[in-house]
Amino acid sequence: MDNMNLNKHISGQFNTELEAVRNNVLAMGGLVEQQLSDALVAIHDQDLDLARRIVETDLQVNSMEISIDEECTRIIAKRQPTASDLRLILMISKSVTDLERMGDVADKLARMVINSNNNRSQPPLVSLESMGRQAIKMLHDALDAFARMDVEAAIQLYHDDDKIDRQYESIIRELMTYMMEDPRTIPQVLEVLWAARSLERIGDRCQHISDYIIYCVKGKDVRHTKISDLDSI
Amino acid sequence: MINVTPTMSQSESIDLVNLPTEKTALEIKNLDLFYGSKQALFDVSMKIPKGQVTAFIGPSGCGKSTLLRCINRMNDLVEICHIKGAITLNSQNIYDKSVDVAALRRRVGMVFQRPNPFPKSIYENVVYGLRLQGISDRRLLDEAVERSLRGAALWEEVKDRLHENAFGLSGGQQQRLVIARAIAIEPEVLLLDEPTSALDPISTLTIEELINELKSKYTVVIVTHNMQQAARVSDQTAFMYMGELIEYSDTNTIFTKPKMKKTEDYITGRYG
Repeated sequence: MDNMNLNKHISGQFNTELEAVRNNVLAMGGLVEQQLSDALVAIHDQDLDLARRIVETDLQVNSMEISIDEECTRIIAKRQPTASDLRLILMISKSVTDLERMGDVADKLARMVINSNNNRSQPPLVSLESMGRQAIKMLHDALDAFARMDVEAAIQLYHDDDKIDRQYESIIRELMTYMMEDPRTIPQVLEVLWAARSLERIGDRCQHISDYIIYCVKGKDVRHTKISDLDSI
Repeated sequence: MINVTPTMSQSESIDLVNLPTEKTALEIKNLDLFYGSKQALFDVSMKIPKGQVTAFIGPSGCGKSTLLRCINRMNDLVEICHIKGAITLNSQNIYDKSVDVAALRRRVGMVFQRPNPFPKSIYENVVYGLRLQGISDRRLLDEAVERSLRGAALWEEVKDRLHENAFGLSGGQQQRLVIARAIAIEPEVLLLDEPTSALDPISTLTIEELINELKSKYTVVIVTHNMQQAARVSDQTAFMYMGELIEYSDTNTIFTKPKMKKTEDYITGRYG
């Protein structure tokens, strides 16, 4: 984040606070990434213990969201950040909301593992895995772009999201076939469908983080902008 | 497990009402102050913690400067002023008859709104208080000058021209010189009465950063018209209104969720 000159304020205290809140976002992002990755393992291995741990750790993700938001509030009240500092605080406050929602996806997948274990018939959870990996990679890249405030990496994420969207469509086709072949599986398949939908939403949330990075670095609000227009910034 | 690290080391909120004696630098007890028949302070009670920055804020005429001046008995100079109640500095009432006012002011230094260096060299300004105490050992004085100027974040800028006249310094540098002069005699408490209101924004930030460093050695009490400054520099904030202490709490609380309506109105600019 050298290009943000975070450590150049006359007030050393302000430097410390900005650096700390930024590190906390990265820590939270890292935890969410770990949660999602664990969730995929839990699905693959039908690991109930792991699934329960994920549900527990989600509480920690939630409390991180709250405490980072509190830090942002305090920084705004006490330091009156302006220009790039203000944009950074605003983007952090928005990013943690998206990160928390991504954490909820891990929680949801874990609960699905716990619930499906009571059922005799196994829903086709495995098809989620490849899409899940793709979503995790996207989150990883988004956090990386955030850490370096890298606009180009942020733009790349918009292209990556297309891949997830295509995988989502193919999963839907697969699940429809499943339901047509054996209507009794519909309750379980619907659950998988919801899980696929939440994984697909991770891609969208990573795009939000890209939007915020571009806003923070360039000062341009690119929400609701077409990808083709983004390349010109 | 990853935990969120707190960003605001200065803002550990402490219980100001039940502050233990060893952590209390100053305690103001039921202080009433009158200028002639006009009462200017009404039953003010508060504990000021050691090694922290406490700010007094409030509209003009609310008594914040008056209260600050009570702490080193500057109000003694005003003939019509009289006081009821007590202020204890490390458990000793500073209004006790046995207290030597000059000695008290060595323990409680003060810096004013406008930089007021003496028309002497930078060096002589810093050692002024030490010379008054009868110290003339050159080595001791040299050490004190370097230590104080470093403490006031001015050393690097003036070390090659210590014997030049202090009036050659810029306003911000003069104010830091005055702070160096105040800390040369190693007081316990440093009172700052709007120390940056005559300075430009960058000098202001430099002084604010200095205040943050000073609190590791001194208890700092600052009066400021600039609310944002109080938010930036202080650990505790006291809001005063018409001679009364309305709310006194840690700065984070005052500036994010004050309890009193009057405080909220003042800090959000809805006052008056």
